[in-house]
Amino acid sequence: MRTLLIGLLLLATLMGWWLHSHQQPAEAERFSVGGALGGIPAEGFKCAIEPRSFRFPQDHGAHPGFRNEWWYFTGNLRTEQGRHFGFQLVFFRTALAPGEPQGASPWRTHQVWMAHFALTDTEAEQFHAFERFNREAIGLAGVKAEPFALWLDDWSVREQDDGWLLSVAEGDLSLTLKLTPQRPPLLQGSGGLSQKSAGPGNASYYYSIPRLRAEGEVSLHGQRYQVSGLSWLDREWGTSALSEEQTGWDWFSLQLDDGSDLMFYRLRHKDGSIDPYSAGSWSQPDGSLIKLAADDVQLDVLEQWASPKGGRYPLHWRLQIPGHGLDLRISPVIDNQELDLIIRYWEGAIEASGTRNDKPVRGQGYLELTGYGE
Amino acid sequence: MKPILWLASLRHLKRHPLQMALSILGIALGVAVVVAVDLANESARRAFDLSMQSITGSATHQIIGGPGGLDESLYADLRRQGVAPVSAPLVSGYLAQGDQTLQLLGVDPFAEQQFRNLISYLPDKSQESALPQLLTQPGALLMTAARAASLGLQVGQTFELTISGQQRQALLAGLYQPPQQQAAAMQDLLLADISTAQELLGRIGRLSRIDLILPADGSSIQSAIEAALPAGARLVPVGSRSSAMQEMTRAFGINLTAMSLLALVVGLFLIYNTLSFSVLQRRELLGNLRVLGATRRDIFTLVLGEGVLIGGIGTLLGLLLGVLLAQELLALVTRTINDLYFVLTVSELSLDPIGMAKGALLGLGGTAVAVLAPASEAAMSPPRAVLNRSRVEGSARRLLLPLGMTGVVCILLALLLLLPGHSLILGFFALFILILGFSLFTPAVVAMSCRWAAPLFGRLFGTLGRMAIRGVEASLSRTGVAIAALSIAVSATVGMGVMVDSFRSSVQQWLHTTLQADIYIVPLAPSGTSSETVLDPALITAIEQLPGISEVSQGRPVKLQSATAITRLLAIRMTQKSYAGIELLEGDPETVWPRFDREQVVLISEPYAYRHDLRLGDQIQLETDRGRRAFQVAGVYRDYSSDQGMISMRLSLYRQLWDDESIYSIGLYLQPGVDTATIAGEVAALAAGKQALRIRSTRALLEASLETFDHTFAITRVLRLLVIGVAFIGILSALMALQLERARELAVLRATGLTPGQLWGLVTAQTGFMGLISGLLALPLGLLLATLLIHVINRRAFGWSMDLIVPGGVLLDALLLAVAAALLAGLYPAWRMAQTPPARALREE
Repeated sequence: MRTLLIGLLLLATLMGWWLHSHQQPAEAERFSVGGALGGIPAEGFKCAIEPRSFRFPQDHGAHPGFRNEWWYFTGNLRTEQGRHFGFQLVFFRTALAPGEPQGASPWRTHQVWMAHFALTDTEAEQFHAFERFNREAIGLAGVKAEPFALWLDDWSVREQDDGWLLSVAEGDLSLTLKLTPQRPPLLQGSGGLSQKSAGPGNASYYYSIPRLRAEGEVSLHGQRYQVSGLSWLDREWGTSALSEEQTGWDWFSLQLDDGSDLMFYRLRHKDGSIDPYSAGSWSQPDGSLIKLAADDVQLDVLEQWASPKGGRYPLHWRLQIPGHGLDLRISPVIDNQELDLIIRYWEGAIEASGTRNDKPVRGQGYLELTGYGE
Repeated sequence: MKPILWLASLRHLKRHPLQMALSILGIALGVAVVVAVDLANESARRAFDLSMQSITGSATHQIIGGPGGLDESLYADLRRQGVAPVSAPLVSGYLAQGDQTLQLLGVDPFAEQQFRNLISYLPDKSQESALPQLLTQPGALLMTAARAASLGLQVGQTFELTISGQQRQALLAGLYQPPQQQAAAMQDLLLADISTAQELLGRIGRLSRIDLILPADGSSIQSAIEAALPAGARLVPVGSRSSAMQEMTRAFGINLTAMSLLALVVGLFLIYNTLSFSVLQRRELLGNLRVLGATRRDIFTLVLGEGVLIGGIGTLLGLLLGVLLAQELLALVTRTINDLYFVLTVSELSLDPIGMAKGALLGLGGTAVAVLAPASEAAMSPPRAVLNRSRVEGSARRLLLPLGMTGVVCILLALLLLLPGHSLILGFFALFILILGFSLFTPAVVAMSCRWAAPLFGRLFGTLGRMAIRGVEASLSRTGVAIAALSIAVSATVGMGVMVDSFRSSVQQWLHTTLQADIYIVPLAPSGTSSETVLDPALITAIEQLPGISEVSQGRPVKLQSATAITRLLAIRMTQKSYAGIELLEGDPETVWPRFDREQVVLISEPYAYRHDLRLGDQIQLETDRGRRAFQVAGVYRDYSSDQGMISMRLSLYRQLWDDESIYSIGLYLQPGVDTATIAGEVAALAAGKQALRIRSTRALLEASLETFDHTFAITRVLRLLVIGVAFIGILSALMALQLERARELAVLRATGLTPGQLWGLVTAQTGFMGLISGLLALPLGLLLATLLIHVINRRAFGWSMDLIVPGGVLLDALLLAVAAALLAGLYPAWRMAQTPPARALREE
């Protein structure tokens, strides 16, 4: 689903290290989706066309035959006193060209990496976001399946005991979390093949681990906070792509207190209509899975927030799944969780409350909104 | 009253245009030389700063390593440990494109953003396609539009580059447009991804350095980084490397400036001469003015004003001329820096306002000082006495003794200043005091020699001969100065000539000793890049296996960087015959060579020993790739190849301590009876298509080295000519003034029967005599200057010693030069006097 974002981000990345400077923050936004996707031709890359069999832990590692791939960790954390933090750590891999590069230098590679790290300090109403770029060469960035290691500079997620150790620091801000999966990987779409628009290959392979127990420490301006909570991992890889008229998306992930996990993405068209390829899933604590098609979910915007950088993001929602008796109101923990990085988008911690079959239900999760900033 | 005074003055200047023109020209030349040297020096410095700045960007610190650079894994380690978050790796090197030396800068675009922002100079969106190409396409690079145009390249075109004499394929992936103030510094810069730079330069796995931006209070970060560094890698502030490089050329700059000042000094003599003469010419007018009520102050101001006017016009002209001259000098300065120190491209002259102001100040200030004496001379005399010419001469004569004494004191002081010490500036100061002393001393010598010469000339040429000499003595206040100016100029040429000749013959001698092999082979590479140029190892092996070769020596010159200095190190693999090629100034060959071959010792060149105050047995600390190591000095050897000094060690020891297997040069020793040209041909055949080599026989290398020497000193020769030029104008104007002043005296002689021919003879004898005295005086001064230049200035500037060799030719030339200049300068006055009917000359009074 986030192929669009990824394509955009990674292409922008390419230009970005060169063109971006802090004096010209608007620079990266010039790239239109179509133009950006035109940058690296899809020829020569593998495409997600048919369902495949997933194998773990191998599939936690890289799939370099595909153009884009990412590892997307989000989560909600609390101290014992109840102070709330949200976090996002995402690693993007993109290939500049198919195949192996020619040339003797160890620096020569087709694989480049970008990572975004964001921390929401709910109590202080502060949002911190950072980005890093590097190439997959001489150990600067990369991923290994066994033992699992995923890193860019000193930002990393590494296998530890029965889980992963996430470690990221920037300036006087750092986050160290032990992540332990509570659920097996959940294959999204049709057995892991997630169609994004019409046409064979306009799809990605997509799986999630919707519940990881998170325990660790947030360090902020010299203060340390012991935290625990739940994290969500999204994994996706593919080559192309979206259709011309798709302009952005709204992606929801929610861990509900009845033990179920809900993911839904809505693809939007330029004319404001909703793409029929919008989809999602709702996994139940008993292991059963409810697949969600575009028509299954009713989404209404309750309130918008005007970004000081421009654009209006819909941050308050009503999400209904009439067929399964779910009715939720969703709101962000704080409004400003906009990442003003090489590309501008909103991704932040959210809370949900409402009813499932008339019984109260609450939840927390993450919301990603793209295509609103222009 | 005052306007009338000024009118009188203007009228006088108008009536003597040639005199005015000559002194304006003299000042102009003097100022021009000073300004030109200053501008050329300053432009070179600015170009250096700018290119440093465009390459270091906003880095505050650098991690540097040995000659082989750094292992790239260090960068990855620092990144992964998070100790150096704002860091950027760099691979840089030089390459040749035609006769241009270009710098290739390999950067990591992912790390660049906060450093140089070079890529933000990519002009438009069409260039975006260039970016993935840079990373994925081997050989892809960027250059400025101007450079691409000069190479006739289009974006997307492939072309060949020569690196270390080897041909490499490159691809022009795009054009970048640096901002205006960086444009000049960056026009020789090619940008590429770090992978491309490693591949093109043959530095796989290595980095030239890592740039860092550390916060101002980053001492904890610094120590964290230092703790993470392996042996041989060092963290240094960014300015240190560039200041170490600047320091290398400091002495060179001071030398040029001193020589330019000499030209100005000669120019100042000129204006002194002109103005005191014009005061004399107008003694009647000035006397009348005083009688009519002009105050001393008025007269003083008047003469001073004239001086300032002449000086001002001369200075203004000099500034313009200086800018023109600087263009020419800049090329010479740049070439010398490239030959001796480091690669530097200076594409444009920067018109540094400070340099111009300095020149203007020197011109005007110097003029004011030079004019003070004639102005007060005119003002201080009582009204009637001004009318009296002989009074001036009388007071001048009374001054002879004190002046001469002061001169002697100056000379002694100069010699005293030279005794101990390393200060180059003090050395030049002493040089100037010596010259000053000599010129103060000159009038007394002239007076004395006139007394001796008059009878002699009388016997030789009769009364006219005696008159000629007496005439010189009678106008001592003019002739003394003219003779002093000429002898200074001539002695400067003697001094510099003797110095350069001595230097050249010492170098020649040294080359003969040093060049022991039959054939020398190095890669064809731009001047100044030997430490970055590498002979293809496979080629070395192939050459060594050629039949007819008995032994092969190998050399690897490198530059070791520390936080404070750049040290040249030559790692050599000696052969049996190589030992004879090194002339030990300290150390006994019997013990030095066995130690050199086995122990952890080094030899140091004479300039190195001088600069670092080292002797036999002292210790030198060097940063190796294994950490800091101490080396004992086993010997000091003669070397003229680097004024910074050089350390030599055996190649095997170097390779133990540094991770660097490269070789730059090899020397082939042939078996008896093997033909040099044959082997050279075979080497060329082996190298064909692999690497472009410079294969030279000992003789050819000797000639090439001397040629390099000569063009290094081209700038000295040019300055020398300029000094003589100024002096010639000086003597011309002085003599002309002198003869014109005597117009009436000569007219009386003509009226009483002197023929034009006799008049010619009289003037010629007089100027010839003055030239002769100048020449004779110039010889001892010139030799003294040469001694100082060799044993003090050269020693202090470059640290090397040489034998003083005085070629007879130089001395004779100097004498001839002085006499010829004087005679030539006498031609016009003589001609004019002979042409003028005596009656008119008499009436003019």
